[in-house]
Amino acid sequence: MSVLPLDAADDVAAEPGSPARRQGLSEVLRRPGGLLAAGWLLFVVVASLTAPWWRPYGVAEQDLANRLALPSAEHWLGTDPLGRDLLSRIFTAGTEPLLSSAVTVLVAFGIGLPLALIAAERGPRVERVISRVTEVFLALPSTILLLAVIGVIGVRTFIIMAVLGVLISAAVYRVMLGVAQSVRTRLYVDAARVNGLGSLRVNVVHVLPSMATVIAVQAAQLYGIGLLIVAGLAFLGFGPAEPDPSWGFMIQDASSYVFNAPWLMVPTGLVLALTVIAANELADAIAGKAAGEAAPARRRRRSPALTAPLDGAAELAPADPDAVLEVRDLTIAVDDGADLVTGVSFALRPGRVLGLVGESGCGKTMTARSLLGLLPDGVSVRGGAIHWRGQDLVGRTEKELTAVRGREIALISQEPMVALDPMFSVAYQLTQPIRRFRGVGRGEARRIAAELLRNVGIVDAERVLRSYPHQLSGGMAQRVCIALALTGEPQLLIADEPTTALDVTVQAEILTLLRALVRDTGLSVVVVSHDLGVVADICDDVAVMYAGTVVESGTAAAVLDAPEHPYTQALLAANPHVPDGVPVPVRLASIPGTVPPPGSWPAGCRFATRCQFAQDQCRSPFPARPAHATGSVFCVRADELADAHVSWDADPVGAAHAPATTPTAGASR
Amino acid sequence: MLAFLARRMVMAIGTVLAAVVISFLLVHATDTSPGAVRLGTNATPERIVAENEALGWNRPLPTQFFDYLGDLVRGDLGTSLIDGRSIAADLADRVPVTASIALFATLLSGVLGIVLGVTAAVRGGRLARLITTGSGVALSLPVFWVGILLVYVLALQLGWLPATGYVPFTVDPAGWFTSLLIPVITLTIGGAAIVARTANAGLRQALAQEHVRTLRAMGTPEWRIRYVHALRFASLPVVSVLGIQFIALFGGSVIIENLFALPGLGQAGQAAAASSDFPALVGVVVVATLVVVVINLLLDLVVAALDPKVRAA
Ligand code: SF4
Repeated sequence: MSVLPLDAADDVAAEPGSPARRQGLSEVLRRPGGLLAAGWLLFVVVASLTAPWWRPYGVAEQDLANRLALPSAEHWLGTDPLGRDLLSRIFTAGTEPLLSSAVTVLVAFGIGLPLALIAAERGPRVERVISRVTEVFLALPSTILLLAVIGVIGVRTFIIMAVLGVLISAAVYRVMLGVAQSVRTRLYVDAARVNGLGSLRVNVVHVLPSMATVIAVQAAQLYGIGLLIVAGLAFLGFGPAEPDPSWGFMIQDASSYVFNAPWLMVPTGLVLALTVIAANELADAIAGKAAGEAAPARRRRRSPALTAPLDGAAELAPADPDAVLEVRDLTIAVDDGADLVTGVSFALRPGRVLGLVGESGCGKTMTARSLLGLLPDGVSVRGGAIHWRGQDLVGRTEKELTAVRGREIALISQEPMVALDPMFSVAYQLTQPIRRFRGVGRGEARRIAAELLRNVGIVDAERVLRSYPHQLSGGMAQRVCIALALTGEPQLLIADEPTTALDVTVQAEILTLLRALVRDTGLSVVVVSHDLGVVADICDDVAVMYAGTVVESGTAAAVLDAPEHPYTQALLAANPHVPDGVPVPVRLASIPGTVPPPGSWPAGCRFATRCQFAQDQCRSPFPARPAHATGSVFCVRADELADAHVSWDADPVGAAHAPATTPTAGASR
Repeated sequence: MLAFLARRMVMAIGTVLAAVVISFLLVHATDTSPGAVRLGTNATPERIVAENEALGWNRPLPTQFFDYLGDLVRGDLGTSLIDGRSIAADLADRVPVTASIALFATLLSGVLGIVLGVTAAVRGGRLARLITTGSGVALSLPVFWVGILLVYVLALQLGWLPATGYVPFTVDPAGWFTSLLIPVITLTIGGAAIVARTANAGLRQALAQEHVRTLRAMGTPEWRIRYVHALRFASLPVVSVLGIQFIALFGGSVIIENLFALPGLGQAGQAAAASSDFPALVGVVVVATLVVVVINLLLDLVVAALDPKVRAA
């Protein structure tokens, strides 16, 4: 699962139709495997614990006339070499492994979990000490040590299994430490501590509940391992002494009769195997619930065949004959689910830079990804067209798109530090596509790679070529990513938040570099950003997106100087220094409210839930109207507001201030 | 890199020391004594006391401990209380048996598990579900039960392989190989399942990485993304699980050696535990720990070769 803070729309896409979570036990049991597993475990435990009351025969009761019998009405599971009833013996034998394995789990978690919580809480120094000690424990051969314990204290199963718990606690600590640390960072636990909660309470109230799933999964797995070990020890003769039954010894016994009475090994082995399988299946069911079931493996996907939009596209097609890229009425949706982007249109001429801006969750990243056919699994283009140099990229096969990617359209992603493969050197990652795109040999490719690195402003190209991604700074990594994007000499570059992850000074450098590239090479660029400063800095055109649609578009100068849509105005009001061309992060929080999630967009204007000027007419469908010469604005009251010279008030004094504009509006109606 | 290896060396030595200390303390915490073990149940208390005195059992614990360490460094693990043989010589014969089973089983688990795991991750759908479910069952099966089943099918019913017993390599290489086959297959069933799960999860995780998206955006052919980039990324967890697997097989071989009458380390451990042969017990623990530690060090080298971050550290 991605660790990146993607658009909210991506989050929705990551779990298409995800079932309501946190339904706990009932959710685990709804999975057939989970239900069966829990049922079997319950049955074996109850049947074993109550065996003395219901078993048809005593464990030592011999029926010498019926030795090694197959299942019959008297002996449901058959008999052993002394004619003892297998059913009675199997379930009588169950008590010890079922209980002693629980002891192992309790001891292992009783030690490992508190240690992990302490290590996560006290920070790196304590953690290092505990971790070193547990590493030593982990490296000890636990089975052999158990034998040593048996040699010394004799066969005392519960104590032996407790010792095993101590040995395994190191492994439990390992797993739990990782979880506890990530929970603490996620939960802002330190904030809770500042608020005066004691450390024990913080752990019990905040940390442990979030770890519950992992604990349950690990405990169930460990329980299964414990069962196998108790049975294994009994198999070796380190279990209850005859005539008391044990699963392990019954199987050992069966092994000497495997030639003339193979049935003997079936019942005991099956009960033991099924019980362990049930414990593991329960663990899988719990884990599966937490992960929303394993995501389907990525398969080659073809966008669904599109028929409907053709007529609409035909009528709009010749909008801009010079455009190299033209997106028409693009709709992107979760398969059998909500729309994420609807009716997006824009055009891009050669050598120009288009900005897609908006808050996160507005669909700008989805739109940009669709240009390369790189939508997440479960998300696809449902309608519209992406005209790229005379061909429609919508509905292309993966193979046809592969030919376009890198060679004609390239991508710069928002997290340079994770965009490069950590296992390969920069040289490999650059020369490999260079050789593929340009058909050159190894030496020539390396020369070109060094040249590309110098072109993106890297001075000691040779050293960087020899480096691995983790040795690069963020800015350096982004330059390498840009060089990588240039290896195929593309005509269009898609830059998805190219500077968001970088320091402010580095941001400016990267923007300067992009501007120089456009100037020198005639590249077209689509920049995705939430930062109006970036847009003002390098974009020629801009499309402002809100809740999956374009609300205002036009040249960057026109839109930023004279925004007509209240949302654009609000964005600008939240970021007053834009005209200086200095990138300043937008304080988006100053627009009250949040973007409505996909699937709950209001009819008509989607900004109506947050707009200061919203009226009834905004809530029924209306068309966009042309604006800014080449663009459009999607606000039913835009003219009215412009005529009245009303614009967004950055700091409304509560809702009471908003109606102050309505008299004007009312007058013009 | 050097600092990393030095740290791992220190850890390794610490682990062996810990094993010696733990087993030493364990043996001395008992209420029986080596004299009693050696002389059997008929011995008079006076004779036991005299025997313990002769064995040096009553000397101060630190003296005994450092004597033992000194002997250990010289490769002397003492003599068995039961048959008086040199423990070091006995174990030197046994380690190759256990090691070859563990090694073969690990290699076979690796090959089979990676093929299955990669297939599941790449193909998806019903095949992936089959592999996941199958491996979930396979890793839950008790080895001794699987072993008997295999003996029943492969040796008794089909007669392809010998049921039990061990043929030394020096006597008959082919016989040696066939005598190990059923034990190795038995261990591989569970081992391959674990490797398959790890490879499957690792590859899926690798394919979900941001850098894979970069590769896709560059039009990199799908085979290269999967088998060069993603597989390399997934190799780290797979290699470490293979190491853990070898260690688990090595330590856990006691059951398989018992079942197939193989003269390995585990069998010695079982015999020593059953007869409270203290020096032999300590010897088995120490030798097993040594092997584990060496394997861990080799594993560190492999990881360093695979992971540029470790190499640079
Ligand atoms: S249409 Fe109405 S609600 Fe939407 S932006 Fe314009 S004034 Fe606001």
